[in-house]
Amino acid sequence: MSPSVCPPRARRPAAALARVGLAVGASVAFSGCAQQGISIKSHDVHILYLVIMALAAPVVIGVYAALAWCIVRYRKRDDQPAPQTTGRGRSLAVFFAIPVVIIAILFPFGEATLLAVEQSEIPQVQIRVEGFQWEWTFLYLNEGIFVSGKTLVRPAVMVLPVDEPVQITLTSRDVIHSFFVPALLFKRDAIPGRTSSFQFTPSKLGTYQSQCAEFCGLYHSKMTFEVRVVSSADYQAWIAQQRQALNSITCSANGSDLSLVAHNISWNAFCLAVPAGTPFTLHITNQDNGIEHNFSIYDSFFEKKQYFTSPRITGVASETLTGPPLPPGHYYFQCDVHGPAMSGAFIVQ
Amino acid sequence: MAVTEAPSTAVAPGPERGRLLDWLTTTDHKKIGLLYLISSFSFFVVGGIFALLMRTELARPGTQIFHPHAYNQLFTLHGTLMIFLVIFPLLAGFGNYFVPLQIGALDMAFPRINALSFWLLPVGGLTILSGLFAKGGAAAAGWTGYPPLSEQLGTGQDLWIAGLIIVGTASILGGINFIVTILRMRAPGMTMMRMPVFTWSILATSLLVILAAPVLTAGLIMLFADRRLGTVFFDPTQGGVVLLWQHVFWFFGHPEVYMLILGAWGIVTEIIAVFSGKPIFSYRGVVLSFLLITALSFSVWAHHMFATGAVELPFFSVTTELISVPTGVLFFIWLGTMWKGKLRFEPPMLFALGFIAMFLIGGINGVWAASPAMDFAIHDTYWVVAHLHYVLFGGTIFGVVAAMYYWFPKMTGRMLSRKLGIWQFWIQLIGFNLTFFPMHILGLRGMPRRIADYAPDRGWSFLNLVATVGAFIIAIAMILFFVNIFLTLRKPRTAPDDPWGANTLEWATSSPPPAHNFDRLPPIRSDRPVYDLRTAGGEGS
Amino acid sequence: MSSAAISTQERPSRELSGPVLGMVLFVASEAMFFAAFFGGYYTIRANAKVWPPPGIPHLKIDIATILTVILVLSSVMVQISLRSIRAGEQRRATLFLGITIALGVTFLALQLYDYSQLGFGVKDGTFGTLFYVMTGIHMAHVFGGVVFLALVFGQMSAGLLSPANHDPLAAGAIYWDFVDVIWLLLFTTFYLLTPR
Repeated sequence: MSPSVCPPRARRPAAALARVGLAVGASVAFSGCAQQGISIKSHDVHILYLVIMALAAPVVIGVYAALAWCIVRYRKRDDQPAPQTTGRGRSLAVFFAIPVVIIAILFPFGEATLLAVEQSEIPQVQIRVEGFQWEWTFLYLNEGIFVSGKTLVRPAVMVLPVDEPVQITLTSRDVIHSFFVPALLFKRDAIPGRTSSFQFTPSKLGTYQSQCAEFCGLYHSKMTFEVRVVSSADYQAWIAQQRQALNSITCSANGSDLSLVAHNISWNAFCLAVPAGTPFTLHITNQDNGIEHNFSIYDSFFEKKQYFTSPRITGVASETLTGPPLPPGHYYFQCDVHGPAMSGAFIVQ
Repeated sequence: MAVTEAPSTAVAPGPERGRLLDWLTTTDHKKIGLLYLISSFSFFVVGGIFALLMRTELARPGTQIFHPHAYNQLFTLHGTLMIFLVIFPLLAGFGNYFVPLQIGALDMAFPRINALSFWLLPVGGLTILSGLFAKGGAAAAGWTGYPPLSEQLGTGQDLWIAGLIIVGTASILGGINFIVTILRMRAPGMTMMRMPVFTWSILATSLLVILAAPVLTAGLIMLFADRRLGTVFFDPTQGGVVLLWQHVFWFFGHPEVYMLILGAWGIVTEIIAVFSGKPIFSYRGVVLSFLLITALSFSVWAHHMFATGAVELPFFSVTTELISVPTGVLFFIWLGTMWKGKLRFEPPMLFALGFIAMFLIGGINGVWAASPAMDFAIHDTYWVVAHLHYVLFGGTIFGVVAAMYYWFPKMTGRMLSRKLGIWQFWIQLIGFNLTFFPMHILGLRGMPRRIADYAPDRGWSFLNLVATVGAFIIAIAMILFFVNIFLTLRKPRTAPDDPWGANTLEWATSSPPPAHNFDRLPPIRSDRPVYDLRTAGGEGS
Repeated sequence: MSSAAISTQERPSRELSGPVLGMVLFVASEAMFFAAFFGGYYTIRANAKVWPPPGIPHLKIDIATILTVILVLSSVMVQISLRSIRAGEQRRATLFLGITIALGVTFLALQLYDYSQLGFGVKDGTFGTLFYVMTGIHMAHVFGGVVFLALVFGQMSAGLLSPANHDPLAAGAIYWDFVDVIWLLLFTTFYLLTPR
């Protein structure tokens, strides 16, 4: 038999009390830490958080209290054998019943919250969100503008009018990303080859830091964006400003030989111009090692009509392309791999 | 392999080269079990150092040491090594050593395949690690390797795939070996319902392995084919389905996490009973819970995919919440076992109690993630990092340390230092909670997983610093542990057959056992044959 | 007295022996392995608007039908071999095992020929991916089975198997029948359930 060695008497109750105290303190701290968020849906999620806490805390406190009790009360103090009792079937039935009861409360409440989160209404703002390595593009479908972040340089900013329902259609241009706005207590994965839709209504003014939450490679930790909730008037002003900026990009044709450099997922020019009615040549240099780019011309970022597309070029490399003659107009060029983040105006004069 | 430090069983020591060859060619389940432990603890040190490096980087905002590409390899290798080359093989190692002893068998059913299963493990692990020397570095797509990202990376990712296929094959062979051993090689009188609960936990684990691990192998082959053979399983531009990988991976991945905990439940249940001086409160309840969890674990996988918007949320939410029922039953059984017992706070019991306290938190914090609307907020954040470490470290590793203190005398004939054990327990408990408890709060504050760096204005800096301090405290506890082991191995072999007053058959033979395991088996008439022998005889062995 | 595994004589004759039970468990793991691929097939197919995808020539069923007959026949042959060894008919058992192996080799050769006639390759989109990966992995399993049965054939020819002790053949037959079942599922999936 092992020599019976008793640990110092003071330690046992102290350990037990420490455990119970930790549990209670944790529950309190936890409740304080969770935010409510900035929308009605996030408020609902916050309540779900508290409900789960209300179901979980008694379990933790109860088990810790029972543990503490056993540690203090049933320490071996003599050499009498313990009663060799076991539980009967009834105990086992009770053991199974308790968690089932908890789940019977938890599941319906969770479902109700989920239905609330999935609810949709007629959206006022419709945004197509595209994630790419490693920033975001927000295309405002009703307003005809887009905003794009620049990898490692500038996070994308989504400006929204307060109290208006927003519908997001989400996809990715390359690998899986995740659109995560902590202030909304919500995220949805951006999956290439799939679009996913969801809605929310922001109800609090402010700027909310957000970022990609699905590991997407090298600069995943830098794939941040902002959600900026402003008044209706400020939103309209911002839209007008963006529209103005996009339309004011202009340049003049200087012959039909163009050159373009891709560097850090960015073109070195936001405006190209050629004379109408003659083919043009474009000399592209891709300086992004191991990264593919290409060059395409569309009517606009809505990509309703494609006028030209090149094959993909993997950096570091150069290619000379020959483009078709085009009627005069204000077109749109982009790298299809990265979308509007690498785009500009293509003017035919 | 630190073969010269390894304890030998009762084989007469020969010349050094003969001993080395003996270890390299052995088919004795006890030696193979020890080899598993040595390999696993070695990979544990490597994975642990990777963790400390990551925590050092994250202690303050801004890049201090690691360019993101290096950091991404660190967390990928940390997760992959800990799961496949540390936690699972630790449990398999104890299984190898003790299942034949606990059922009164001579060895495993297929001793040579048993040896093969072991040696494939370091081969697979080193293959994965060799990616560090490949062009472009080691695998860097996380331990879950989601495409399309995992199709972008270089040779290191292929080595990761190859290593995991090797390790997976080894574990499937091992699973078959355990099942046949348990079903066919029990001693007379050792019915299924008299087997120790640890053996039951290994049986359940092995069922999971043979049914789930092949699914991972299939997925890895699909991934390799897409990367190198021109196939398009996961290429959405060619008709492939990106989410196919997640379904295949998590169909394996969820049973996998139960493979990582069942053995620890078996160990802890037994230790609680022994050190309470009472029988397990409900042996049938434990077996039933193990089997229910094994079956249910195949029905929950898509709870890892709630945020994709592409899976049936209510179904997987229900199954996930239901699996907490048999898990909860285990807690009640542990408490019932201690109730009105005579508790002895030796190190095995301390770590078993720590297991209960920590695993409870890990199980409970998972409940938040089981409800999809809540999961949308905490998925892929540090809340999940807290959850997985509370169950795998607070759970399994605490259980493994308990097992080491419990079974060390049986394996080596020496008792680990009780004093060092108590120090290790408190330092480990404090360090562990300091590291991982703050991560709940970080998750609620929106800190995502797998980020090499974070901005100073997010409100995450202080808690990250706290977590880093905790990580180094864990390291101190682990150093104490290894010091305890190394110092104890230098002591003479004085441990008795049954130093703890235990119940199961492994304590009916010498410490360590002879090569043939038992000189004489006691009669087996209940699930506590050594207890019966001890109390019938009226005194200790 | 030392503990020992329950010997063959003592074990209830209804129970599968250790090695045969091991093969049953191995086949169960292989079933899950193939199930993952079939899951992949049905996922990709459900996601496709048109199946088979445009550009894939229609699969001709003639060679595939012959392959099916060959394999089903070989399963019958191996079962006859098993029955023969249980009845003590060594030469008959050896003969039928030899036929099984020959049929297996014929299957492999004929399938390789079929591959060369198909008109599309593994790199031809989702259909090429699924067809070649799944039938290719199956072929590897047939090859493994042929090797296993050849080893059993060697043991049988050396007189090592008997009515009481023929675990290698029993195990081999289970594996072989499993490989046959997988082929039937592949044939059904790619030839019978694919629209023409």
